[in-house]
Amino acid sequence: MSVVVTGMGVVCATAIGRDAFARALQTGRCGAGILRGFDASGFPVRIACEVDDSSLPDDAVPAKARKLMSRATLFAAVAARLASDDAGLAAGVAEPERVGVAFGAGGMGSVDREFLETQLAAIHACEAAGGFTWDRFSDAYQRLVNPLAAIRALPNLAAGTLGILHDAQGPNLTVATACTSGTQAIGEALRALQRDEVDVMITGGADAMVNPTGVLGFHLLGALSRRNDDPEHACRPFDQARDGFVIGEGAGALVLEREEFARARGACVVGRVTGYASACDAYRMTDERPDASGAARTMRTAVRDARLAPGDIGYINAHGTGTRMNDRLETLAIRTVFGGSAPPTSSTKSMVGHVLAGAGAVEAIATLIALAGGWLPPTINYTAPDPECDLDYVPNVARPATVQAALSNSFGFGGQNACLVLQSP
Amino acid sequence: MSMVPITGAVADAAAIRRIIADVLKVAPDRVHPEADLVRDLGAESIDFLDLLFSLDALVGARVLPERWGAWLKQRLPAGSAGPGITPRVIEEFVVFYRSSLSQTVAGEPS
Repeated sequence: MSVVVTGMGVVCATAIGRDAFARALQTGRCGAGILRGFDASGFPVRIACEVDDSSLPDDAVPAKARKLMSRATLFAAVAARLASDDAGLAAGVAEPERVGVAFGAGGMGSVDREFLETQLAAIHACEAAGGFTWDRFSDAYQRLVNPLAAIRALPNLAAGTLGILHDAQGPNLTVATACTSGTQAIGEALRALQRDEVDVMITGGADAMVNPTGVLGFHLLGALSRRNDDPEHACRPFDQARDGFVIGEGAGALVLEREEFARARGACVVGRVTGYASACDAYRMTDERPDASGAARTMRTAVRDARLAPGDIGYINAHGTGTRMNDRLETLAIRTVFGGSAPPTSSTKSMVGHVLAGAGAVEAIATLIALAGGWLPPTINYTAPDPECDLDYVPNVARPATVQAALSNSFGFGGQNACLVLQSP
Repeated sequence: MSMVPITGAVADAAAIRRIIADVLKVAPDRVHPEADLVRDLGAESIDFLDLLFSLDALVGARVLPERWGAWLKQRLPAGSAGPGITPRVIEEFVVFYRSSLSQTVAGEPS
């Protein structure tokens, strides 16, 4: 059963909305800058790819729904509204029971700064009352914390919120596989459509980890670039001088439909999702297998799922985080699958940063936009080749190219790998 | 209501309506004294938790949801699930809650 993409919405550091995102990708705009969301001047990492809140459309989300949203859920809701409008998915277009949601999520509101601040306020109140005990914490917490904070903290609430806002009464799924979440959510949406459980899936992923614990956590893991004095050049996937990723935030949302259903309602098809695979390295928590066999196997299985051969793939949107290990082993995995004829491969994280649970969705959209537009998005900040990263990374400028099929890769901590095959309309 | 000085009651009514408008994200002019919070203004159960939390400052203490539930059961035939919760009902509850607090404090050694 073939599955088409009829709408896309993006919220990220370089753009809000599909067309603005296309322009940003094509011109190689970088979204990294000095971190503004909180005072990080004393932090070891002071750069990020942040969403400009003031540019979010006011009317995308009802005000009362918004108060129940974490920052990540807000991004998800805005992206999904943009995708739904893009697809012409007005009320009554589909039977509510035949519309589902599969969305990638990270920690959602449990990591928001406001959540941290309420915990701290309760702890301070304990100290003021004579020292911390759990009894005092219980009293202070009940006094100081709005019950809505507990709702905002739940990671399944992006998918739940989209169900409510879009009257999507079909299957409702949250995927939490760290950096793989968005890709895997789209893959699981594809499966639900292929099983004919639904006519329409609203899918994608969202994350908002540019907060004190998010930044410090990834810093402690050694994953973030510390090029604080030069944020625009900090994220340099596959480059010899790369030193980690730049933390990003945002959401990507797509409307997928069974092709028959989309054609019957006269929807505009903007791309196709034809293959998907997920697999686990089952090796170590944050190390990939040294022979990159887990990533290679996932790519191969996704290509086979699309009933294609590796030679049919004309572009790869890499996971391409800009960490020493990922880029070297992802290159090895691509070489393993494609041999000496690997297709052009770029990392759009060089522009939008690492959107974590939203990354796969933002990158699937970048790939679909590029396929439909007849060009490949660049890897910006690529200046010095690394002998261990020897592919064509579409360095620094977008390139005209007619490509029918592309791979989009995501690899997460925990060894979770997922790949999608995306095709032009 | 007669136990409360009239100026205080009027000030409370205005403050309560402002809080309701803010919690339910509706224009303040829609929150007239007889507007039904559920039927007319779109409140759902989570909004009542938010509302009770938002009344803390006005009441001067944490408003416990279980006491709201028990009071409402006495006050309205359908309790918290049904229609009939208006800004005026919330005003009555605030008055009741304040007076019950002073009785509790007076009646119970700390």
